[in-house]
Amino acid sequence: MISTLDVTSRTEGRWKRRDLWCALAGVVSLALAAGAASTVDVPVNSDLGLVAVLPFPFWAGVLLLNAAFIVALRGDAAGPARRPVMIWLIVVLVLVLFGTASFVTDIPRGEVAFRHLGIADALSRTEGIDPTIDGYFNWPGFFALLATVLGATGLDPATVALWAPVFQVGLWLAAVSVLTGYLTSDPRRRWLVLWLFCLGNWQDQDYLSPQAFGFFLYLVVIALVVGPLAARPPRIHGFRPADLVAWWRGRSPAEPRPGHRVSALAVAILLVTVISASHQLTPFMVVIAIAALTLSGHVWTSRLVLITAVVLTLWLVYPASAYLVGHPPLADAGLKVATEANVIDRVSGTAGHVLVVQIRIVLTVVLWALAAAGAVRDWRRGRLDIRVVLLALTPLLLFPAQAYGGEMLIRISLFALPFIALQACSVLLPTDGSTRPSSRAAAGLALTCFLLAVLIVTGRYGNAKYDVFTDGELDAVAAVQDLAPPGSSIVSAANPTPWRSEEYLEHRYRTITDLCLADLSPATCGPLVYDYARTNPSGAVVLLTRSSEASLVLQGTSSAGEFAELEEWLSVQDGVELAFSNADARAYVVAR
Amino acid sequence: MSAGGISRLTVALGLAAVALALATLVGLPTPLQVVAAIGILVLLPGQALVRLIQVKDLALGVLLVLALGLATLTAVSTAMFYLAVWSWQACVVTMGVITVLACLARARQEAAA
Repeated sequence: MISTLDVTSRTEGRWKRRDLWCALAGVVSLALAAGAASTVDVPVNSDLGLVAVLPFPFWAGVLLLNAAFIVALRGDAAGPARRPVMIWLIVVLVLVLFGTASFVTDIPRGEVAFRHLGIADALSRTEGIDPTIDGYFNWPGFFALLATVLGATGLDPATVALWAPVFQVGLWLAAVSVLTGYLTSDPRRRWLVLWLFCLGNWQDQDYLSPQAFGFFLYLVVIALVVGPLAARPPRIHGFRPADLVAWWRGRSPAEPRPGHRVSALAVAILLVTVISASHQLTPFMVVIAIAALTLSGHVWTSRLVLITAVVLTLWLVYPASAYLVGHPPLADAGLKVATEANVIDRVSGTAGHVLVVQIRIVLTVVLWALAAAGAVRDWRRGRLDIRVVLLALTPLLLFPAQAYGGEMLIRISLFALPFIALQACSVLLPTDGSTRPSSRAAAGLALTCFLLAVLIVTGRYGNAKYDVFTDGELDAVAAVQDLAPPGSSIVSAANPTPWRSEEYLEHRYRTITDLCLADLSPATCGPLVYDYARTNPSGAVVLLTRSSEASLVLQGTSSAGEFAELEEWLSVQDGVELAFSNADARAYVVAR
Repeated sequence: MSAGGISRLTVALGLAAVALALATLVGLPTPLQVVAAIGILVLLPGQALVRLIQVKDLALGVLLVLALGLATLTAVSTAMFYLAVWSWQACVVTMGVITVLACLARARQEAAA
């Protein structure tokens, strides 16, 4: 076990011709990828998502970019290419992988970003917090931040949501960069971690969301814990109580300045408090990560984990109590429930959609397998860093604790990703950190990175058929907001609908899938939707969009024929009138 | 260092906070308003607070400027919503005050050093 891998100094000095070529390759890659993505037509009509419609130059750009990065990473005997070149190539990778959808369309991708804009808008209108509205108002921190930033800057909310993934991943990478700086001194390893982190980040949690903000703060807290708050544990001489006490008391702080340690502790407590106020899941990840590091003797003060647990508990029992009354934390606990929600229920749908889900699993398994091989290699050399292993594995402890709407495995893989990437570097780079990879090894690494890039684009944008919206769908949502009087219900077929970015509190929003669960047959589902719409004294509008229908068909909930029959049944009922129609949407007003 | 051992950067940060807060409240053309608002809401408070804890590592310092700036703004905004006194203008003023107070605390450290 070691604390850091010692190695080569960073390359400084004069610019080399190779560095300039690599930087130029980055420019060409960006031009190729962005230019190709901007030619894609919306809507995307393939079950495989964007990967099926991105033209050849996009992939040429991705290949060139990965090759340029590996050439720059290989560098020369003194180390990798200069820092500005490496940073530039990573910026290009972020734009290519996480800005692709923004080059395709100027409408934010995914329904949830619209919803989050609506919550910030509702907060700024009411200027107060009513925790009985819904769960978001029990963890309002991020939305309060968003409301303030949008109000003060005057930025267009849709533009903020459109580019949020690029911005958020940029923040994450800044934190991962500092964090890995405390875990390894090998510059090649540090750059490759950032590259692999991007290539493995298919989870799509970087949109305008509290979890993306919380993950950034989580990474900063961990950076503080392995940095200024770290401790060096002594060698353990046995597991008798006296040995353990001696080992625990023998820890020495890594940061020699006491004032600096206390300041870092104060910063960590502030960040933990903000995380607890902003997102449900992230504080639990913080607690278990700090607890594991503390128990391994790698944290200078054991008080941090206690303070974190107290802050989390206080938030749950006071500001979030309204939500917890109806949603006990362990209501969805259990390995069986978690497995069904996170695995079995997700691997269903059309052949194309199932392939996309399988590719996401393959990408995750490949990275974890590389990390496992790297861990074995480090262990055999006596250089396994237990902190990296703990930070990679502790998120798994939350798997049986909550189904989390079937998203727990996604969140676990994201929280583990920086450390999985770091451990994978141990098998992708030469054993001796100072050694420059051979030409053959570099070619293999470039090919591996390119294949991972293909997998992430497939996995990340695999739902483009229903999460990339059209102007027609936005027009329909605007028309529905005009048609629906205050207090009325708006019913959409399914969640992928670009709604709720305005008038979040003015209407009751429901989906047909909520009302009918799995059975969307006209005989069963039709009356349920119709009766629900008729019972609202202010009336209702039923909105049927291309994207919501595509999501039902793609995920195997319904068929196009069944959906058409349901719409036909609904359209001929008393008091139902087609009030808006275009190529991508229909809106029916249902009178009481 | 300026008079009394207080660094020019500390003075400049405090003055910039007052100027940017006023500019943001008065209103500027769109791109300038974005720059001014991000400066007074996130970057200046973050920088002023990081200077209080005297981080030696440049990379950690830059990261903490962003993290502390965003976290402090989140805490201020959330508290204002809970107290039902929120407006973005009030947040701008509060973040300006926090920056100036952090600069004063830093000035005392520098004067005592």
